[in-house]
Amino acid sequence: MYNSFCIPFYTESAYNTLFSMERGQKMRRRHWLRIGLIAMLTASLIFAGCSRGAKENGAGTGNGTGTTGTASGDDKSPVTFTYFAFGSNIDKLASETRIGQILKEQTGVDWKMEFVVGDPAIKAGVMISGGEYPDVISPVSEYAKLVDAGAFIPLNDLIEQHGPNIMRVYGPYLDKMKHEDGNIYILPFTANVGGYISDPNPVTNFWIQRRVLKEFGYPKIKTLDQYFELIEKFHEKYPVIDGKETIGFGIYAGDAAQYYTITNPPMHLAGYPNDGNVLVDLETHEAKLYQGTELEKRWLKALHDLYNKGLLDPESFTANGDQFMAKITSGRMLGFAAYIWQIGDAINNLKTAGNDDLQYVSLPIVFDEDITDAYVDPPSFVNNRGLGISVSAKDPVRIIKYWDNLLKEENQKLTTWGEPGVTYEVDENGRFYMTEEQLRKRNDNDFRREYGFAYFEYEWPRYGNNSVYEDGNAHWPFYQPEVARVNYTEGDKELLKAWGVETFADLYATPVERPWYPAWSIEKPQGSPEAMFSQQANDLMMLYYPKMVLAPEGQFEAVWEEYMREFGKLNAAGYEEFMTRKVRDRVAGKW
Amino acid sequence: MVVEKSRIRQFFKSLSNQKTLMLMSLPFLVWVIVFKYLPLWGWLIAFQRYRLGKGLFDQTWVGLENFRMLFQDHHFYRVLRNTLVMSSLNLVLGFVTAITLALLLNELRRVYFKRTVQTISYLPHFVSWVVAANIVQETLAPEGIINNLLLKLNIIERPILWLGVGEYFWGILAVAEVWKNVGWNTIIYLAAITTIDPTQYEAAQIDGASRFRRMWHITLPGIRPVIVLLLIMNLGHILESGFEPQYLLGNSMNIEYSENLDIFVLKYGIQLNNYGLATAAGIFKTVVSFIFIISANHIAKRLGQSRLY
Repeated sequence: MYNSFCIPFYTESAYNTLFSMERGQKMRRRHWLRIGLIAMLTASLIFAGCSRGAKENGAGTGNGTGTTGTASGDDKSPVTFTYFAFGSNIDKLASETRIGQILKEQTGVDWKMEFVVGDPAIKAGVMISGGEYPDVISPVSEYAKLVDAGAFIPLNDLIEQHGPNIMRVYGPYLDKMKHEDGNIYILPFTANVGGYISDPNPVTNFWIQRRVLKEFGYPKIKTLDQYFELIEKFHEKYPVIDGKETIGFGIYAGDAAQYYTITNPPMHLAGYPNDGNVLVDLETHEAKLYQGTELEKRWLKALHDLYNKGLLDPESFTANGDQFMAKITSGRMLGFAAYIWQIGDAINNLKTAGNDDLQYVSLPIVFDEDITDAYVDPPSFVNNRGLGISVSAKDPVRIIKYWDNLLKEENQKLTTWGEPGVTYEVDENGRFYMTEEQLRKRNDNDFRREYGFAYFEYEWPRYGNNSVYEDGNAHWPFYQPEVARVNYTEGDKELLKAWGVETFADLYATPVERPWYPAWSIEKPQGSPEAMFSQQANDLMMLYYPKMVLAPEGQFEAVWEEYMREFGKLNAAGYEEFMTRKVRDRVAGKW
Repeated sequence: MVVEKSRIRQFFKSLSNQKTLMLMSLPFLVWVIVFKYLPLWGWLIAFQRYRLGKGLFDQTWVGLENFRMLFQDHHFYRVLRNTLVMSSLNLVLGFVTAITLALLLNELRRVYFKRTVQTISYLPHFVSWVVAANIVQETLAPEGIINNLLLKLNIIERPILWLGVGEYFWGILAVAEVWKNVGWNTIIYLAAITTIDPTQYEAAQIDGASRFRRMWHITLPGIRPVIVLLLIMNLGHILESGFEPQYLLGNSMNIEYSENLDIFVLKYGIQLNNYGLATAAGIFKTVVSFIFIISANHIAKRLGQSRLY
């Protein structure tokens, strides 16, 4: 009865996409509005059924000994460094958390952790102008800017001299971590170690209400047409729910910062993973925009037809986050398009409420039967998200040693699983699992902050989510099959049974290797024509999408042609050339 | 020589006479110098391809390229139109509603009622736009109070997506601005009204002037200097139509009407790290403000009205 959906919100891919400014055109740089939304989301998560465990658990963190491993450094005198992250979280002193306390006992190092408030771009600008930096910085979307300004020190020699564990974890990725000048400035968050385990419960951005599936005997849906057809059939049968008009399909595109929700689907539907605004050919590695193509047209035409049948909610273009989530929880909306990190607390609320009919399930939907879906991310290495040491750092060697200690396998277990017997259990075969109670706490935001999971499981040098320990257990607890099983509700089990699968992952295609993935993390130089193109292309989509989708019947083509004329004025070829070059560089090993 | 000397003495004499006033204005003088004059050298950025982290003189100079980029962007003119329309609407409606409310409040005899109205009318001023925009969005939602009311009264058949029709945006914004600021804006007029000599009203009353006549012939002319002064000052802000409400209420369906100069600068200047372009837009705004203030002041002078300088 806890929320499995707290999880994806914190998983790496969600996080990366959330904070990728690479999606420049799709995801504009976040503003305080988004931060506010996230704050609200997190707050609601706390209230949304994760809350019961918090109080009971406070006491549990007081016991246990902090003698897991010893620090490699010689100096263990107490010291406090400053940590600043452009992710979103609540400021805290590391030693106020259980994990931070244990790590402090090992190393003597404490951290004053601060997180960005307001517009990250502005905060980064202020930092740079002042020339004073915290000791370590996780720049997230501000990476290019901070590196350009010379805010980070190169780590190449430091990790070689003082970081045996760092070398063990990041060794295979060193080439990908090097900036254009050959220096390593950050230690990324996605270095997978020892084997590869994928998410047993992936989600997509197409959701359908479970009662719609139930009504028609849990049909297997693969294409967009089937999906819309099912919604239409249900809508015909039940035009009014609880005295209010049934809404067929909605999209969370009312908030300018969330516009990528409506611009990304052509990519997913065509069977490509989230590569930003381009599709990359598996053989030629050519990067092509899908804006202005038949794929985009097909998606928009489908929405246009849906609208003219009265099934598409026109409020999709105006509703803010709260309004959209209210629709989801109202039970009146049969299907919608949105990413899990945008609507997590609505999904959580429905789960807590417990009415399986009103809950949603996401489906790997594509345009045609013969398209293989690519909703599960291929093994990837995101090289522009990580933690770096700033030029203002007082003692870089000590910091490197702390990180090295953090990357020891037993400490990595501490950051995601916690302590055996307290936050997880080990069975006779050495497999890690969690009781329902432990799992609920693991998902509880209050507990996660108090214990330190919320701080140490991400935005620090770490094992990637898909890592497997030497003993065979998954690094990311929610990828451990034993944990995933406890996580299923009765309704989940019924769905799985009807579809004849063990986990939701069985519904998805196995990811294909894409050595450049993800293309969204390709940094565009500041003030470059490519950065400009992204902005202008996005503005064009903002302007024309509603015009096309909400056009009266028969007028779609005319607006589309006008859109294409405007799009033709932008230098799309130059942008594609740039992206192709960068993708090919990556394939050739030059990251 | 003698004249000169006595003049200087005169100056110091009045200076010492008014030293309290001088002291009081000193902080503001310092404020103006520090925040308005010192940053002016940053205008140099407009002529550079500015990169953060490098000194102002280590940058690449690009001449007028940033200005060229600004004025050649067809986007820019749409944004400029929106800015001008929205701020003119704000200016006109802001003045009319605030003066009207001040006049009406002034006529109220029951202090308790007057205070209540005043408090209610300027409460929204203290609500941040983030919250206010949410209230506006909820009110205008398809199931919001406005649509419900219109549906019940059979004025419309289907709910209107108010924020989804670009043409409505200016009107919605103007009404929201009035709602938010009318109470606050009345304060200065109410203060001005109190300076009017009450004997004038008594005289008019004896001459048989009605309430309306007294308002028209005494109150309004009495606060005219304040009105003209504020008008001149506000004309200087003609290119500042606000940022938050447009940013928060704007969506893809009304973007043609909601995007203003400040959002344009945020998108193409600050977010793309194009500080040169942002500064160029700032200079453009300053020049326009300058022209407006000087001409408004000149016109006021011609008409024999009170003026800024």
